[in-house]
Amino acid sequence: MSMERRDLFKLAGVAAAAAVLPSVAVTTAGAAEIANKASGKTVLVVGGGFGGLTIAKELKKKDKTIDVTVIEKKDIFMACPFSNTYLGGLEGVSLETLTHDFYAPATKHGYNFVQAEVTAIDRKAKTVTTTNGNFTYDILVLSPGIAYDYKGQFPEWSEEKIAHVAHACPAALMPGSEHLALKRQLVDMDDGDVVIVPPAQGKYRCPPAPYERTSMVANYLKEEGIKGKVIVLDTRGGKFSKGAAFQESWKDLYDGIIDYKGFTKVIDVDPAKNEITYLEFTDAASLLEGDPEEAKKHTIKYQVCNLIPNNICSPVIKMAGLETNPAGYALMDGYTLRSKTDKDVYVIGDAVSHGIPPSGHTAIWTAKRAAGQIQAQLAGKSFDPKAGLPVPVGNVCYSMVSGNPEEAIMVTHEFVAHENGMLVGNGNVPKPKDGNGKFRSKGTGKATREWFAGVKRELFM
Amino acid sequence: MERRSFLKMTGASAAAVVISPSLITQRLYAEDGLSLYESYEKVHLKDADGNPLKASTLQPEVNYVFNFPHIATPCILVDLGRPANTNVKLKADDGTEYLFKGGVGKNGSIVAYSAICPHQLTHPTPDDSFFQYLERKGKTLALPNANEAGVFVCSSHLSAFDPVNGGKAIAGPATEGLTQIVLEIDENDELWAVGALGANRFHDYMDAFKPEFKKYYENKRKAKRLVKDEAKVVALKHFTKEIIQY
Repeated sequence: MSMERRDLFKLAGVAAAAAVLPSVAVTTAGAAEIANKASGKTVLVVGGGFGGLTIAKELKKKDKTIDVTVIEKKDIFMACPFSNTYLGGLEGVSLETLTHDFYAPATKHGYNFVQAEVTAIDRKAKTVTTTNGNFTYDILVLSPGIAYDYKGQFPEWSEEKIAHVAHACPAALMPGSEHLALKRQLVDMDDGDVVIVPPAQGKYRCPPAPYERTSMVANYLKEEGIKGKVIVLDTRGGKFSKGAAFQESWKDLYDGIIDYKGFTKVIDVDPAKNEITYLEFTDAASLLEGDPEEAKKHTIKYQVCNLIPNNICSPVIKMAGLETNPAGYALMDGYTLRSKTDKDVYVIGDAVSHGIPPSGHTAIWTAKRAAGQIQAQLAGKSFDPKAGLPVPVGNVCYSMVSGNPEEAIMVTHEFVAHENGMLVGNGNVPKPKDGNGKFRSKGTGKATREWFAGVKRELFM
Repeated sequence: MERRSFLKMTGASAAAVVISPSLITQRLYAEDGLSLYESYEKVHLKDADGNPLKASTLQPEVNYVFNFPHIATPCILVDLGRPANTNVKLKADDGTEYLFKGGVGKNGSIVAYSAICPHQLTHPTPDDSFFQYLERKGKTLALPNANEAGVFVCSSHLSAFDPVNGGKAIAGPATEGLTQIVLEIDENDELWAVGALGANRFHDYMDAFKPEFKKYYENKRKAKRLVKDEAKVVALKHFTKEIIQY
């Protein structure tokens, strides 16, 4: 009986031979079918992004007898890193550059890939319910990424308004239709302005992304001869990731094209009229105070609007009942990549509350580190959460600032075990040797492409 | 017998193909039964004019490129200007241990490594190179706190490898060390490449770079062929248009 049921869930690479009926299947009412093998070394990974795919591969590389299943809601992998070059129309960058199937790495490394959305996590029973079957685990890895906080940022907006704005002014930090929509709008635009709104506050995915995008869109306007500006409605007064390096490039390359406003608060968007309304403050202090009487109110027309709302953590972390910080990121067990709440639940990628930058490179780093910690835990061994720390270059991140010729800037982060009890990244924005005293260079432009090509090899080979 | 020497050999079978010059034994590693050692048909290293490359003519701390063991797999040869350590125990990612015996030349300072970064396969091409040895007085972002370099650096993701200790990964995201290209020197001070030590990713590399192979070597089939008899050695600055190092 149990065999037949299990056969309903046909998973690549899972031998249905061993008729091990997991105990949870008996004790959990209504969840009798368990689609993966309960082996005592069963690892379930939620999320098939940079973190999830890396940890699945690393675990299988370390120990083939670990059963690994990746659950991902999307059917196609699409990268957020490097996607601004696609939006900016750089030569040879196509959708194919950013996308990949999930099947090749799963087959090559021997993990299971299941396309499904997680609907419930029962940490007591150690089961995960999805739209495509129920799964058991010994170790659960959560790599679910981010969500948008339109509600928190625009409390007066209705659900309908949020949906309307999200489609009309796509954020494009979660790759997929958002990127395609934004690209379509840029391709179709007439002369006129592009408005870019970086997240107003808090931690968000890829801190340089809105500013790299600003550069790439400016490059696009310039190359296409579109008469218009890129207007950035920011809150950071120029003090953002690689800020000095970006602003040096903007001044040199896009004078008169990029109009950066550093102390603004967006209050409304009217997608029907292509209008955005914001308050402009004079400095950081008045912005912080937020008194509308101290600000000038502007309503401007746009051709394309890229509104990136504040980020929060994916709701999957709360679904698992883990303790979180106010933005929903998982509280961690000291310097480890394990959750504070449950020693059998690991959290990697953007969803951690460690003070390390939420980048693709960091997600891979957390995945590899967590894989070592999980391997030790499954073997009943202890591990040193501080092993290898400080890491001189835990993160390296390039941002393309120019398309013709291609030039980029870079940042590196040292990862340390901070006295606040968390992993923390300390950034350094170097001037490259080939930059003639500038932050940008052609070499780093090439490095940007090679970085991304390498990362794709990492995930998919 | 000669024909057989064209074939890729492993282990003790390599002993059967000893041909002149007599000092090139190819036995050093093969007969020790060391793990992760792969013997190839020995390849005579030649200079740009096609003359045998003399070990004593190598300039210290300069990157020289040659392709080995496959037509499309670049290696870097360096006289480190200081002896490499001997009998260094190393470990591959899968836990297999192997032994780096040291460099060659009268100071034991000449080493060669596969120039394919074991992390994500970045390597020098005729267009650009992100992967090379960085002289001791150089500076690299991969080792921001180090007083001196003297390491291989992959500037794509900032991994560093220690050539004195068998190419061990010492910084950045790479976990596995470089693949050592085992060299021998004959009685005329001439260099030969005879094998590869350590985990290697030649297979992944062949899968990963099909478009590139088409550009440089016509196709993957040709790129994959083993280097026969001799390999031309050129300074990296002549091999590639642009050296990028951070």
